[in-house]
Amino acid sequence: MEPVIISMVSLCRHYEMGDQIVKALDNINMEFRRNDYAAIMGPSGSGKSTLMNIIGCLDTPTSGIYELNGTNVAEMDDDELARVRNREIGFVFQTFNLLPRMNCLRNVELPLIYAGVAPEERHERAEQALLSVGLGDRIQHKPSELSGGQIQRVAIARALVNKPSIILADEPTGNLDTATSHDIMEMFGKLSNEGNTIILITHEEDIARFTHRIIRLRDGRIESDERQ
Amino acid sequence: MKQNLQQFRYETAESLKIALFQIRSNKIRSFLTALGVIIGIVSITMMGTAINGIDMGFEKSLSMIGYDVIYVQKTSWSTMGEWWRYRNRPDLKTEYAGQINRIIADNPATELEIAVPQMSTYQAMATYKDRVLEQIFSLGTNQEYLKTASGDLAAGRFFTPGESAGSEMVCVVGDDIASGLFPNENALGKTISLKNRKFRIVGVFKKQGKFLGLFSFDNQVIMPLGAFEKVYGRKMFVTIRVKIKDETRVVEAKEELLGLMRRIRRIAPGKEENFSINEQKAFKSQLDPIKNGIAAAGIFITGMSLFVGAIGIMNITFVSVRERTREIGLRKALGAKRKTILLQFLIESVMICLLGGLVGLVTALLITFTIEKAIPDFPVQFSFTLVFASLGVSVLTGIISGLAPAVNASKLDPADSLRYE
Repeated sequence: MEPVIISMVSLCRHYEMGDQIVKALDNINMEFRRNDYAAIMGPSGSGKSTLMNIIGCLDTPTSGIYELNGTNVAEMDDDELARVRNREIGFVFQTFNLLPRMNCLRNVELPLIYAGVAPEERHERAEQALLSVGLGDRIQHKPSELSGGQIQRVAIARALVNKPSIILADEPTGNLDTATSHDIMEMFGKLSNEGNTIILITHEEDIARFTHRIIRLRDGRIESDERQ
Repeated sequence: MKQNLQQFRYETAESLKIALFQIRSNKIRSFLTALGVIIGIVSITMMGTAINGIDMGFEKSLSMIGYDVIYVQKTSWSTMGEWWRYRNRPDLKTEYAGQINRIIADNPATELEIAVPQMSTYQAMATYKDRVLEQIFSLGTNQEYLKTASGDLAAGRFFTPGESAGSEMVCVVGDDIASGLFPNENALGKTISLKNRKFRIVGVFKKQGKFLGLFSFDNQVIMPLGAFEKVYGRKMFVTIRVKIKDETRVVEAKEELLGLMRRIRRIAPGKEENFSINEQKAFKSQLDPIKNGIAAAGIFITGMSLFVGAIGIMNITFVSVRERTREIGLRKALGAKRKTILLQFLIESVMICLLGGLVGLVTALLITFTIEKAIPDFPVQFSFTLVFASLGVSVLTGIISGLAPAVNASKLDPADSLRYE
């Protein structure tokens, strides 16, 4: 068995909306092991985004335990969370979120700057990451000069560059056509085969079918958790 | 620790790059934002330059009347305007000069070197043929006068002890009088009329300029005391000019002179003296409040313009934070800490201010240079202190105006910011 990377025990995330308390996540118990390749599914309002924010350390739970590599994230302050995001998590977003006026290399280097990596090494590692997603010849291009699929691959390179424990992808194919979506999913498949841990959020069945494990959420609770 | 420092260095380098990039990609906006600072810095440096210039002109004037001469007079310079306080004082006598000289000759420890009598009027008039000069300064004294005054002779000589003792009708004139009465000829040896008395010019002073822009040393006629009394009578204003030995010991010298004069005037201990001892410092104490007033008002007004500039920068930085909310969210998601984001926006506003400050300085320098070329007499003085001060002020403005928006940016929630449209 691979070691446990993420463990959630009776994890809750509540929001106060006036007098009402909205239970975005309600008593979640779940584990992810190294090299998991999982999809989190659910209709809108099911708590996918909240769960993704908590896994990504962009948000902390109201109660319960969220352990990442054996450390309880719930008790961390802002700066420690920033450090965990930088070292442990590689984000891929639906809207890509590249800085538009910087070239691919500079975009991919960004997490390394916040990790305190020296400029030469930064360059080398960013170039490597871009090479591994098949964009070795687009290093100096700006995002506006690339297609949607290429942009998302730059974003994947950025997620990989700091060798995180988890790659967290929020609707990574949401803004792509079917053919490109399948390209991107094949890329995730390849990354999974190379030993990476990948969690992605999607509401498309055919995308989820690329993964090895599908977790369905409804009303802030786990409805099903199946390996395939 | 070393790792942290290195990380800080990389992050700062990144922030500098972003700041430069932002300024370059929003050229017009950056310029308009910096304009407030540019105007502020120009006005502050010009103000400082002007104050420096006033100071310089003042020092120059003071050196004209000499730091090593003190004056015994009926009235005090430092309370000018309160003439009624001195109205009932008895007039001074020119004979005091001789009395003082006799006393200090017997005192080897004296701080005083020599006393010279002077009688003068501002209301004199000099004529030569059909040329008339009014409102000139006529002054009677003895041959020792030059020991207590600045001024070199351009031609001729000062009058001799013999001429002085014999009250001969000779005079030494300032440059304005020489050129006023004798525009195209040599003044030396000519005879001019003062109140219908004929005076032969034996010497002409070099041009000296005005004292504080008020009193001109070039507008005076100097003659033996006896000759002066023949023309103007004995009722004119008397000054005893006293040269001191060491200009660093003015206080002691004044103290000694005060005692001497009280002795001469026989003023009982405990009674207030009925004369004043003046020195050039009195002018300083008169002018310093004026200068400080100008400086305070100037700094306040120019400070206002800088304040307006700072508000402009604060406003634009707020807009910039708002526009780049998603970028802030992304950077935070990728591992930027609060202080990294804070620093990024602070560096941006400081950089705009610093650039504005530099442009402002160069502008002020050009204006100063132009003024110096156009009006050489106008007192302007640029200093390095001013350069560093204004750059310091620019950086400070940047920090102050950037702080609130930067703190705002650093506190943004990463998850919300990433979804910001």
